[in-house]
Amino acid sequence: MLDTLIPLAVDGLASAALIFFVAVGLTLVFSVLRVLNVAHGSFYAIGAYVAASIGLWIASAGLNPWLSFPALVFSAAIVAALFGPLVERCLMRWTYGKSEAIQILVTFGLFLILEDLQRIVFGVRSLAEDTPMQLLGSTQIGDVVYLNYQLLLIGLAVIVVVGLRIMLTKTRIGRLVTAVVADREMAQSIGINTNRVFILSFTLGVFLAALGGALATPTAGAAPGLGAETMVLAFAVAAIGGLGQIEGAALAAIIVGLARVLAIYFAPSLDAVAPYIVMLVVLLVRPYGLFGQAATRRI
Amino acid sequence: MLRMEDVTVAIAGVQVLRSVSLGLTSGRTTILIGRNGAGKTTTLRAIMGLLPVEAGAVHLGEQEIGTTPAYQRAAQGIGYAPEDRRLVPEFTVEDNILLPALALSLPAPERARRLDEVYALLPQLLTMRTRPGGGVSGGQGKMVALGRALMVARTALLLDEPFQGLAPALALDYARTLGELRRGRPDLAILITESTPALLDAIADETLQIERGAIN
Repeated sequence: MLDTLIPLAVDGLASAALIFFVAVGLTLVFSVLRVLNVAHGSFYAIGAYVAASIGLWIASAGLNPWLSFPALVFSAAIVAALFGPLVERCLMRWTYGKSEAIQILVTFGLFLILEDLQRIVFGVRSLAEDTPMQLLGSTQIGDVVYLNYQLLLIGLAVIVVVGLRIMLTKTRIGRLVTAVVADREMAQSIGINTNRVFILSFTLGVFLAALGGALATPTAGAAPGLGAETMVLAFAVAAIGGLGQIEGAALAAIIVGLARVLAIYFAPSLDAVAPYIVMLVVLLVRPYGLFGQAATRRI
Repeated sequence: MLRMEDVTVAIAGVQVLRSVSLGLTSGRTTILIGRNGAGKTTTLRAIMGLLPVEAGAVHLGEQEIGTTPAYQRAAQGIGYAPEDRRLVPEFTVEDNILLPALALSLPAPERARRLDEVYALLPQLLTMRTRPGGGVSGGQGKMVALGRALMVARTALLLDEPFQGLAPALALDYARTLGELRRGRPDLAILITESTPALLDAIADETLQIERGAIN
């Protein structure tokens, strides 16, 4: 029994880690910018394609295969540096303080643009590159074999949760971000350059989404349609956790990850709907999510 | 020292300030009186740079700051305490007061000097410094917001309806504090808005009336 459950749990947690990277970026961007970025999942997809392309290039150039690990993080950094400041300055900032309908329309437009951009640059092929997973191999404990790469994903997600929390509470920039989240106008009037906080937070959000995509390539590859699929899942996770809640997103990602794995194992036909059943149940009981509080609207 | 000249401000297409001019002088306390909706808060927000000025000019000393972003005006020493306190609920009272020092990257000695000064002027804050910003009462929160504004204020201090929503005893206490503040910081140009000016008579050097967006 345990021999079945533990590998299932590891599978679930590894997939939870990937969803978490995207969802926590979405939730971070939402709390600072007050915009629900519908195009957020596209950064995951682009991160996946860039990472797979760089991985394939490393293999074809005959470089040291261990380079493919830093390349995963490097891919996410490239995507963040290319898109973060550009999209925030040219597009997102025009939506601040506007109605949610406009924000959703604008970011949905961005989603369509990014989807086409991805098709133009990478084509409609699927890319597969699993060097990092192969290199790490597997560990056998008892009768059970674990993929070490999956354990690495879980470890990285824990590092991101703790790292973000430390950044927000202990560092200067983190405390300034917290102040902007609490009250944008107050933040400006005590000397915070809110534009810089917006650029930084959005870019960090893009980085986290792209990191999720990059880290997913060794196990799942990159394929067209990834952006939309991820976005819906990340939104479900962020909603379950409570929008704006880092630890909430982590817990929600774990619940959704485990729910999917259990569905695959016990009722495979429910795989795709499992996250939304969880979301439905959680939101029926707690409409603002597990960790969420009712928003106090300011006039 | 801080001057508004023929400033016009519109919010969502509606003119809220019509050609408002006023001057603040270092060491003097100016009271701006007006009913709800007369444009008091808008005047302060325009000075602070939180609203775009449609026409006219704002000068700080010799410098025209009409298009300077708010965070740079804070760096130039204009402190603003909004009517609602707007504290960061997760931070302690002291961290809320220190937030401007962090935002403006003040060096440690300057930061400590300003904090000591705030505690000397508002000793009530010492007893609640470790409490969370989200856990203080409305009146206490207003004191914290005043302390935070004082961390910024080197040249001017703008207070928006400081007595609004305070119980009478607290309002008297706050008025006394403002008197001490005036004596403790004789350099500051102070602008206070109020709808009921009785409590401010003792410290007012000049009283202005604002009505439907225009100062008479």
